[in-house]
Amino acid sequence: MRIIIVKKKISNFPSYFRDWISTFRAKVTIICLIGLCLVPLLTQNPYFLGIFTTFMIFTLFAASWDFLAGFVGQVSFGQAVFLGVSGYVTAYLIRYLSFPWWLSLVIGSIIAVLFGLIVGVPALRLKGPYLALGTLSMSMIMYQLFLMGSLATMWEDAFGTLLFGAEGVSQITPISPNIIIEYFITLLIMCVSLLILTHITKSNVGTIFKAIRDDETGTSASGINTTNYKILAFMISGLFAGVAGGLFAMRFRGVNPGVFQPLYSFYAIIIAAMGGLATISGSAIGAFIFVFAGELLRETQDLSLLIFSVILILFIRFAEHGLLKPTLERIQELWDIVLGR
Amino acid sequence: MIDSLINFLILGTIQGSIYALLAMGFSLVYGVGGILNQAHGAFYLITCYLFYWFYRNLAGFGLIVGMVVGLVVVTLVGGLVYILLVKPLKDSHVGVVIVTFAFAFLIEQVVKVSVDSLYHDMPLLIEGSIEVFGVEILNHYILVVVASLAIVTLITLFINKFKIGKSIRAVAQDAEAASLMGINVDRILAYTVMISAFLAGIAAILYVPIDIVAPHIGWGILINSFAIVVLGGLGSLPGSVIGAFIISYANAFFNFVLFMPEISALMPIVIIVFMLVLRPRGLFGKKEID
Repeated sequence: MRIIIVKKKISNFPSYFRDWISTFRAKVTIICLIGLCLVPLLTQNPYFLGIFTTFMIFTLFAASWDFLAGFVGQVSFGQAVFLGVSGYVTAYLIRYLSFPWWLSLVIGSIIAVLFGLIVGVPALRLKGPYLALGTLSMSMIMYQLFLMGSLATMWEDAFGTLLFGAEGVSQITPISPNIIIEYFITLLIMCVSLLILTHITKSNVGTIFKAIRDDETGTSASGINTTNYKILAFMISGLFAGVAGGLFAMRFRGVNPGVFQPLYSFYAIIIAAMGGLATISGSAIGAFIFVFAGELLRETQDLSLLIFSVILILFIRFAEHGLLKPTLERIQELWDIVLGR
Repeated sequence: MIDSLINFLILGTIQGSIYALLAMGFSLVYGVGGILNQAHGAFYLITCYLFYWFYRNLAGFGLIVGMVVGLVVVTLVGGLVYILLVKPLKDSHVGVVIVTFAFAFLIEQVVKVSVDSLYHDMPLLIEGSIEVFGVEILNHYILVVVASLAIVTLITLFINKFKIGKSIRAVAQDAEAASLMGINVDRILAYTVMISAFLAGIAAILYVPIDIVAPHIGWGILINSFAIVVLGGLGSLPGSVIGAFIISYANAFFNFVLFMPEISALMPIVIIVFMLVLRPRGLFGKKEID
């Protein structure tokens, strides 16, 4: 059945595409994409391109959280675990085994998927809000594990240098010495990942995910094994957070135990909340604001985090739909007025 | 060997008394309102820093003033957190979890900006020590155990005998029926969060002098309280007291007898995972039917 639909889509490609492009959302998406492609033509300044690359990595990271929280209803505060694990694996493979970057990224993401499985299985016992604290403790423990010199030493005695202590892994070769190539590769990975995530939420599996979010008891009563689907959701989320983690390690040329801090899970949450929960692409608008505002407030990092936590409280409290949907509606109204409809 | 055993007994008891207070408050809020308060560590942190700030900047009466102000402020903050943040979002678990998490984060940053992000020490509340069977015990330790036992007893009495306490139990059993009986559920929940914050404040004042003051300690408190509550049973007060002692003795055993602080740092997650796999409702929890 599904194959037939896919075939239809492929055979009717031009008209299908034409239908899509005639919608308002598609136009906005295309304009944003063209804008992102034009950025390297406007400026070759590595600093600005670097900020844009960071913005895209955070978009992907927040989208993976948004998928889990917004569509499956599993609020995880341990998203940093996936980021950190994949970052460490990618960094290790590139630095010490001199793997090519894409292979390291793939392996890192696969390890993150396995961690999704590890987090997902005990998480099934943690119904509702308790999941949040379970995952939070998971990320705290990982932070401790990687930070603590003594455990790393114990580990080294037994298995050789693996956990690297407080310094982490540094001096990783980036994707490409040319920042513009790095920019476009990141852009491509981000677009493909967001497309896949959006597609999953619209597919049959996505419907089951939404059913689990809205009424878990009811879903399992209609003969769906919610356990398997929740594990699947954790693994999907782990995959994309893992891709973000690998890119993160290459973008910043290294990782340290700090990536396991609740701080990074907090970043994902605030970005997704600013964009709007349960809108995968909303993460982009949230990450844009977050990264650029963070860059402006770079001098006073603690102060900027303070401002962001106030913003998060205000958003959750007063504007649960975030920025994306209301903004799009306003623009559409404006558009209609301009066209005289 | 004997020394380390004595250390283990003393410090395990101290930590157990402190965590009993923290876990009781955490468990109370969950048991009564079904609210998972991620800001529990933040309550601890607020008192901690007020206490420290007054001690630093007010010579002479600093300790006393800091203690009083810390407790009053943290209780008020607890009430405000419930009224302003939790109550409007009570229908969505996701909202409550995120908003209290954000609040905890906010407090950490406020502390970093307004004080600093260094480690600090505090003096003991009462100096001196006594000898029991040839073992020297700090007076402060005795104060901690006595004070926390007294407060645990008082809270239990309060919940069982007083009118507000009875209302709290009624809301815990069935909020809807309680509101039909003329109990203002929102007010009772606000009181519950305030009691929980007060307990966290007491724990902070007793524990800070033998621990450190730093912006990140709130998270460790939160996670340990969570592990204790999972072990003792969600929403069960005796369970959280007993769980606190079990976890603290286990912690102290790894720290002072086996000298493996790494393992004791891993304890919370190990306990959480094992309990959830073997007995999800904890040692004393009620069976939940959904």
